[in-house]
Amino acid sequence: MPWKQGYTISDEIGMPDADIQWPGGRRCGLSVTVDLSLAGGPEGLTAADLTNSIAVFGMNDGTRQVRDVLRRFGIKATLTVPAAMVNILADTIGEWVADGHEIAAQGLMHEDVSKLSRDEEADRLRLATEMLSDALGARPTGWFSLPRQNDPFSVGTISPNTIDLLIDAGYDYFGNGLADDIPHYWVSDFESAKSLLALPYYYHFDDQFFMMFPRVGTGLENPDTLFANWNAEFDAQYKRGRHFNMTLHPYAVGWCNRLKLLEDFFARLAGVPDLWNPTGRELASYWTETYPAETYLHLEPEIWTDHSDSLS
Amino acid sequence: MGHEHLRADIAALESAATAYGERHEFLTDFACPGEHRIAVNFTCDFDAMLLRRVLGETPLQFARGEFGGRVGIWRLLELFDSHDIKATIFTPGRICELYPKAVRAAATDGHEVADHMWEHRVPKEPDVERAHINKSTAALTALIGHRPTGSRSRHKVGPLIDAGYIYSSHGSAHHLPHYITAEDGVRQLLNIPFHFAIDDAMFFSFAWQGSGNAAQNLTEPDRVLELWWAAFEQQYEQGGYLNICLHPFVSGRALRIEMLDRLITRMKTKPGVWFSTCEDVARHCLDAFPPTGAGGA
Repeated sequence: MPWKQGYTISDEIGMPDADIQWPGGRRCGLSVTVDLSLAGGPEGLTAADLTNSIAVFGMNDGTRQVRDVLRRFGIKATLTVPAAMVNILADTIGEWVADGHEIAAQGLMHEDVSKLSRDEEADRLRLATEMLSDALGARPTGWFSLPRQNDPFSVGTISPNTIDLLIDAGYDYFGNGLADDIPHYWVSDFESAKSLLALPYYYHFDDQFFMMFPRVGTGLENPDTLFANWNAEFDAQYKRGRHFNMTLHPYAVGWCNRLKLLEDFFARLAGVPDLWNPTGRELASYWTETYPAETYLHLEPEIWTDHSDSLS
Repeated sequence: MGHEHLRADIAALESAATAYGERHEFLTDFACPGEHRIAVNFTCDFDAMLLRRVLGETPLQFARGEFGGRVGIWRLLELFDSHDIKATIFTPGRICELYPKAVRAAATDGHEVADHMWEHRVPKEPDVERAHINKSTAALTALIGHRPTGSRSRHKVGPLIDAGYIYSSHGSAHHLPHYITAEDGVRQLLNIPFHFAIDDAMFFSFAWQGSGNAAQNLTEPDRVLELWWAAFEQQYEQGGYLNICLHPFVSGRALRIEMLDRLITRMKTKPGVWFSTCEDVARHCLDAFPPTGAGGA
């Protein structure tokens, strides 16, 4: 591209539809992210987040309901867990692992790290990785910073250092990239082309923005809109031969009519041929082997000129 | 008696409204060229992450905008080309340093590339404002080979006229193109209207215009398709104008490209639709309905 630090994270032009190949000649990718975090806002998990009826539902009945639906339709998901919840949810996580789902990191407390110093953020990253590794018996390979319902933005919050720290910590992918609707490389250092694969995420396919959003009583209950978005994006991406990611929160989508929409959506997908349903790790591994950054990431030197009356 | 100060307040309101209103000259006999009943301008505000940068937001907000530069703009160009429609790409000057290939491709495909502010803001200082207009104009000129003729911005009218612009495109003072008088009270610039109700960000962009979470209205494509179709039909029946404002980082998403494809296909079932660029509409108005000075001194 013409690279510009602080503005761009990847190359100038995304990969066109015609260049994308999926394993076994399949037509479209389908990935499902299930976020078990109950953090309500940028401060990350608080006791209040974990001590209300919706939280209890989310950690018990809701999570089981979603797992049963995934099992019934044979769909694999990536479960994202803040390190602070890994012990609370030990039994649940064991059940999901037994079903073949992947467990990925959702930060230490699922807190906003955008204003932390690099050292403080690195320290929290180390602790989160250690806690998750101890509980899971293996290091997580994916890291997510998904948005929370009361964040000021709907994209998740990372700092300018996060991706670089994740590379140094040995992570294989970042789970919520927004610069493309397929996997793409997030460059943390232009000179060395040091990069981490980012998997696609988009909030219009994330249940938390359509179900009692942003909190009980505000009345923004639009599961039908979410269902329409899932269908419209899936159809469009399938036609293009690209990828569709949906993000689920059991405390939200696990409830009654909402769960029925999820079942209806998966029932529809069951009749669609040539879908590839990887976990985050499988998707990242396929992508980095098939489309390595050394060959497929096209970075061009910066042509940006600074001016005293302009932002840089 | 005793109402003097209230009457004075009301008189001040009246004179403010009158003075502001008099800066507008409306076209009383607007008609599209030939047999056309309606002019439809598809416009793309190609700001990618620049507004997020002006607002000092975080890396994933920038990445959300980056989608527009590396993916969305290409899909929109492909959509317009597949329908043989020429659109107007309102492009901040800085985008020429981030996505030069897309800007060149838009111009090569025959689309209009016009100004959308140097770095997606209008500086308060008059000298800096003029410098920004000049920087953006120079950057676009270098890529497209000629000076842009329009600006979607709230730049002051005088500086835009001085820089050679023949139209602006902002605000909704009238549903048809109209003239706005410059700060000197004399010169007039054609304005091509735009309305937030026909703007993708209104429906699909979280925290757009700083709205809080409880005020979000994230919706789905079919609802917007019907709203915009109703807008089109109303103007079609009346014989008028429709400006559809799209952001590549919003409308470039696959589900919305598909919706726009259906919207355009439906519009094309009607005879007499003039799919044109803003510059086409501007030149037509300046030629057929020149300003009379009624909005000037």
